[in-house]
Amino acid sequence: MTKLFIDGDRYGDRPASMLVEAVHNGVRDLVRRRLAECGKEWSAFVFGVANDTITQADFEAIEKRILASGHRFAWSSMLSLRDRPDIYLSGDQSSATNASFSFEHRDAVVGAEEGGRQLRGQGDNVVRRAQNTVGTASYIRTSERVLALMQQGVPDDFIAIIDDSGGTLTAPILEKFKGVICAGGTVRSHLGILTREYGIPCLMNAKVSGIREGDRVEIETTAPAKTAEACQKGVDMMASIWKLTA
Amino acid sequence: MSPALPSYAQLLEANNLMQNCGDETYWLCVTRTVQGSKLFPVSPYIMLSYLNAFYRYPTLLRKIESRMPAEQIADRSRNMGIKIQNSQLGWCLPSFYLLGREWLLSMGIIRPQDALHDVLYVMDFWKRFQLSWHRNDGHITNREYGHRAQILPDRRLEVFKADMFPCLPGDALQTAAHTFMATASQYGFLISCESRISLTNSGPYRFDERHEMIVRDFMDLAECSLPWLDGVAAEVPYNNLTIPMAVRDCHFHLVDDWGSFECDPEFTSDKLAAIGLYTSDPLSDGYVPIGMNSAEELTHKFIELNDILKAATIKLWTRMASWSREQLVDAGALVYFAVIKDLAHVAGVFEVEDWLEIDPRAQRFRPLLNDEFANSVLGELVGSISLPSQQLSPFSMMQHSNRPSRVFTPLPYSVLAGEDYVASSGGIVRGSSSLDPKVDRYRTTQGALTLAEYNRRAAAFTPEVCAEPYRYLCETWVKYHGDHPLCDALYRLEQKQSRTLRDRGAAPSK
Repeated sequence: MTKLFIDGDRYGDRPASMLVEAVHNGVRDLVRRRLAECGKEWSAFVFGVANDTITQADFEAIEKRILASGHRFAWSSMLSLRDRPDIYLSGDQSSATNASFSFEHRDAVVGAEEGGRQLRGQGDNVVRRAQNTVGTASYIRTSERVLALMQQGVPDDFIAIIDDSGGTLTAPILEKFKGVICAGGTVRSHLGILTREYGIPCLMNAKVSGIREGDRVEIETTAPAKTAEACQKGVDMMASIWKLTA
Repeated sequence: MSPALPSYAQLLEANNLMQNCGDETYWLCVTRTVQGSKLFPVSPYIMLSYLNAFYRYPTLLRKIESRMPAEQIADRSRNMGIKIQNSQLGWCLPSFYLLGREWLLSMGIIRPQDALHDVLYVMDFWKRFQLSWHRNDGHITNREYGHRAQILPDRRLEVFKADMFPCLPGDALQTAAHTFMATASQYGFLISCESRISLTNSGPYRFDERHEMIVRDFMDLAECSLPWLDGVAAEVPYNNLTIPMAVRDCHFHLVDDWGSFECDPEFTSDKLAAIGLYTSDPLSDGYVPIGMNSAEELTHKFIELNDILKAATIKLWTRMASWSREQLVDAGALVYFAVIKDLAHVAGVFEVEDWLEIDPRAQRFRPLLNDEFANSVLGELVGSISLPSQQLSPFSMMQHSNRPSRVFTPLPYSVLAGEDYVASSGGIVRGSSSLDPKVDRYRTTQGALTLAEYNRRAAAFTPEVCAEPYRYLCETWVKYHGDHPLCDALYRLEQKQSRTLRDRGAAPSK
């Protein structure tokens, strides 16, 4: 077998992800094959022969082999799923049209009902505010939902529950939200930056359970904002999220 | 003819620069962000952009320097708020290139000594630009300065401070300014396909015991070299906006190499104490004030621009929401890759095929870039630092993580002992894009221009403060020549468009 420089790696371990390992192994085998086939030295191969002989079709074949094993990829952009549903795990696109839907995070901290409210999760506070924020929960998970809210208008008291820490999905309507619960990202993700700019109360990296469309919720925006130091050291500085029951 | 073998000192320096970038990359990625988007396939486009940067940056930077040296471009950049500052040059330029290299290394496609002269050149370009950009604070990065960036000279800071309008919590100017900055930030993230590269901050600058100023830049807002803004941004009158912003009772303790800031206590709108508004570009002679004749005029200008950017946001979002995944990935990869394209605009050598195409050597990897693989490999590359090429001797302790790993693989010194290497990845190969072609219209401070005209004017233009006899009249010279006629003339140049300081000259402000 043709030897590559990586075969002499004294310290290199396998990648943490099995998928990354599988793909990288596929690419390494491809490089070995093409180098052996051309019969040239590495220096003539790397930016010369390899540019012509390692092709898009080769990488398509690697993807095909992984799919043939039965693996289907997890998606993060809904448009990836839309354009190639055959290669992605089926997606749960539930949103406001499904009244029974709720995020169910396995690490969500929940508590008993007390004083007209029940703890249903926690998140990282972006900016500490003078008061907690109370409003009506509504899920936003698709561009179709954003379009509908653009047409119908965003109701007062709207607390958006989003599983997208980016700032683009909700761009046309974000400023209308009373509050945001984001089930991802950090306080320094784009959505965290934007809610800070707009002055919208926001918890990022939220882990919640049992909050459904239309529930009244209270978010603890009086909690300290999560600091960069806490992020770096992995220290929890969680703010609470309650479902109002009274 | 092959370039000469580099010296030991050259390799040592390049490796030091790479290590500094690597340490900061890890810190930024761990403490700043976890990105995700339901709209944009962010990780796939990021990985594609890194490869495009690896294959194209060396050639494009050499092309730029054939017209204008890096340090001279940085001299000009200090006098305008365009897209070549932190984060574009402070972090993106070296890191995008090196992250592309690192991924290829991990896959066994290149060796550490391949493209050796390209790596040396990219790091040397970056070093010269950064040293010149940071000329006034004497550092190479914000990181080296304890995460701050005091880029501007005294004469410009005097004008910003003297001309800005004070505001109080809840008054008309503060409300309008704060609303505008939120809208511009939102628009900036959208323009940049879910990245923060259209927004940056520099500073802080001290006013007094209670007040500090930060300079906020919002870039590529109008019809510019991003084709998806054609039409939707036709009403945006300025491509770049700079907002000097003074705050009270709030200390900016961190301005990082991504241009993000943090303050203590947390910045909220009630701490906004004074504000100004300017535009600039490679054809403007410094900062041009906008609506700065009165607080009322500035308030109205913020409201007017806010409405324009909101309308453009809705149009752009609607356009992007209709794109295919291929188009979303192309746009994201190109806006990321072309984060340094304004270097070419300043030098007058911007060409669409250089900056708005995916090189076929990068394009071929696209079938690998499904969402799951791209998220995983990017996470390993910049977050967990767990790719094989990034692992070190078990005795090693990486800065910040204490793990035996590092972000970027150094150049091996063994080439000096005769080990073979390859000098360059080669020139640019004509690429492709699934996006609509760029319309030949570029919004500048001299009106909407064709690219040929924009390049012609940029190549012919030298800002007065960057020309003789002023170019090397640095802050140290100014300190000891306050009564010199040239110092007076230098300050008058900066004050030409100042409402309050015009023709005041170099008389001390205290």
